[in-house]
Amino acid sequence: MIMRQGQQLLLPANPFFIWGTLLAAFVLHMLQNMGFWGRAAWVPDLLALVLVFWSVHQPLRVGIGAAFVFGLCLDVHQSGLLGANALAYTVLSFFAITIHRRLLWFTVPSQALQVLPLFVASQWIGLGAKMLAGGSFPGWTILLAPVLQAALWPAVSVLLLVPQRRAPDRDLNRPL
Amino acid sequence: MPLGTLDRTPPPFFRQGPSALSKLMVCSALAVFLMVADVRFRVTQPVRAAIADVLYPFQWLVLQPVNWVRGSTGYFQSLQAAQSGAEQMRIALAAQAQKANQVEELALENTRLRQLLELRQRITTPARAAQILYDAADPFSRKVIIDRGEMHGIVSGSPVIDGYGVLGQVTRVFGAVSEVTLITDGDQAIPVLNTRTGVRGVAFGDMSHPAGGMELRFAPADTDVQAGDVLSTSGVDGVYPAGLAVARVDKVERRSELVFARIALSPLAQVRGTIHVMVLQPVASQIEPRPSETSAPAPARKSLRK
Repeated sequence: MIMRQGQQLLLPANPFFIWGTLLAAFVLHMLQNMGFWGRAAWVPDLLALVLVFWSVHQPLRVGIGAAFVFGLCLDVHQSGLLGANALAYTVLSFFAITIHRRLLWFTVPSQALQVLPLFVASQWIGLGAKMLAGGSFPGWTILLAPVLQAALWPAVSVLLLVPQRRAPDRDLNRPL
Repeated sequence: MPLGTLDRTPPPFFRQGPSALSKLMVCSALAVFLMVADVRFRVTQPVRAAIADVLYPFQWLVLQPVNWVRGSTGYFQSLQAAQSGAEQMRIALAAQAQKANQVEELALENTRLRQLLELRQRITTPARAAQILYDAADPFSRKVIIDRGEMHGIVSGSPVIDGYGVLGQVTRVFGAVSEVTLITDGDQAIPVLNTRTGVRGVAFGDMSHPAGGMELRFAPADTDVQAGDVLSTSGVDGVYPAGLAVARVDKVERRSELVFARIALSPLAQVRGTIHVMVLQPVASQIEPRPSETSAPAPARKSLRK
């Protein structure tokens, strides 16, 4: 087991937590649409962000199949072209699994820079599929979405690793 | 430290499952197949309906806080705003009362005249009220979701109107909700009639317009259209009942090198802000079927050619 120098040893991830956060990201994504911004194009795709996070950190549990199913659900929710998001998420998850061994050797801000091309590629795949199927271009604000997703990467990598950073055995005198 | 407290485990030697590349191939192929099936063959409605039924509890859950917030903001609205709103409504009602009375009389007169001339009766369409839940998230189209579905007897293709005019058409029906494509969607066409001149045309959604606009396509450059004309449904399509207001002409641009005039319209329905809508039955369900080709007398055509 090779690790970066000074990297913290983590507890095993709870599968319920992984799937729970994925579902929560999906629900938050729906809330952004239903409650806040309607069909705005610049809205960051939280589901893609969490999918990439777990594909990088737990590639044995969350993989391409899960990404495909979530993409399909998102297509139905958006009532857009069936399969466009599924294709985008499949490719996104594949690239995340491809880079997962390398990515965790870098610092978190540098990781954010390296996942940005993934988000851009996945978005352009979805965009191309929908434009080919006869959709009309939603405007240049769509370019903002991957940047926002990459900017949220540090926050997500702190939040989702909190349960794994607890002490293995509880000590009343040492809370963390 | 007990065993199994560390996250890093070596990857399994055996049972690694299919490789990531093969999974990518299979899933992408499936996605492409679904897209082709959706666009070209339109056979994915059962899949879509099944997933939509699974998603509905989640959507319902998400909608609850949204509804609470909407309700509470309405509750804390100032008394003055509510009173002025009610005042405006009263003025609008008074303005419409006279028209409504006239319509009753005109409708009676119209039925009598039609009976006299032995014309077919005008079609009246039953309607049911619905509420818009949210905008569909797809930024590539203009669609909304309403809270009535197959359970409530909504059928695909039904016209949807609000208090001011035609809002759109039901394009997909799920169990408890349905999807309405707005008239400002780029793929949505609606046959219209200029109420000033009686000229028929087809209006399309214009997606380049940020607030949601429409355009009247295929109108010859010398056609009689002025800014301010009101367009209503013509009723020739078998979907929309005739006489519903659709849009007002914003701008007419005539260029010598173009065969058609460029006519920008603004929809009369509140495509961005409305909540309560009416779903009408499609007119086609009440029209008698077209007479078949064989029953049409052949000599009539000959006499026309002479």
